[in-house]
Amino acid sequence: MEERIRRIYVPMTETGFYILFCLQTPQHGYGIGQQVKEITGNAVCISPGTMYGTLSKMEKDGLITFYAEKEKRKLYQITPLGKEILELEISRIERLYKNSKGESVHE
Amino acid sequence: MNKTKLRFFTIADYEEEEIWLREQHKNGLRLIRMIPPCFFIFEECTPEDVVYRLDYKNGSQNRDYMQMFCDYGWEYFAHCVGWMYFRKPASEIQVENDGEIFSDEQSKIDMIQYVIKTRMLPVFVVFLCCVFPNWLKAVSGKLDVMGIFFGSFFSVLMVLYLYLLIHCGRKLRKLKNKYMRQ
Repeated sequence: MEERIRRIYVPMTETGFYILFCLQTPQHGYGIGQQVKEITGNAVCISPGTMYGTLSKMEKDGLITFYAEKEKRKLYQITPLGKEILELEISRIERLYKNSKGESVHE
Repeated sequence: MNKTKLRFFTIADYEEEEIWLREQHKNGLRLIRMIPPCFFIFEECTPEDVVYRLDYKNGSQNRDYMQMFCDYGWEYFAHCVGWMYFRKPASEIQVENDGEIFSDEQSKIDMIQYVIKTRMLPVFVVFLCCVFPNWLKAVSGKLDVMGIFFGSFFSVLMVLYLYLLIHCGRKLRKLKNKYMRQ
């Protein structure tokens, strides 16, 4: 993985994390927004400008890719590089969580 | 019946413009379109609280972008020199972010950087390579009729460009700092 990509995306913003997480199954921007609202109990709401901008950036950096077009909407899907980043981010969050509960992490 | 209002907002005054358009709609005037640089064409409507939002795309918007804003309940109704105009009735806003087109600070900062790159820089280049040298030439030239004409013409342009560059430059920096602190 390129050092530049890792530097930009790890650690990730909440918006970035949820978008990447949701794109493990193909989805369009508005669909991702709805799913994020649902699974976070309305705590995270991604607005359209932010959604569109983040999707464009992630596509350009190769974390996600165009999957299909459905009813005038572009569907995206995570790429192997995106999965690698997501896994890095999930293990980072797991470490944070364990440490916050007073547990140590051993490699 | 249509009504035209005259008001000048620079590229850095989009937040003020959003507030002003919302007030107009509350007073029963719905914006239809703009004629640059400062004419707003309204039509009379039932007074309503409607939130207005501006996004700077500089022509890079596409079908997917338009569809996404539409899915989120934003009505696109006009564009003007690179700005996309959206609105949504306040009654449809349940959680705070429903009334925003950007939900994080980075996207707001990205928009400002895009404005600087595609608007401020070209204006600055025109100022430096055209307005300023011509002004210098005109005011140091002969004091005949033509000399006075060009001298005053480029002086007016100088003042206008200087005002725009200084006002917009300071305002955009202030907005960027505001977003970074949030």
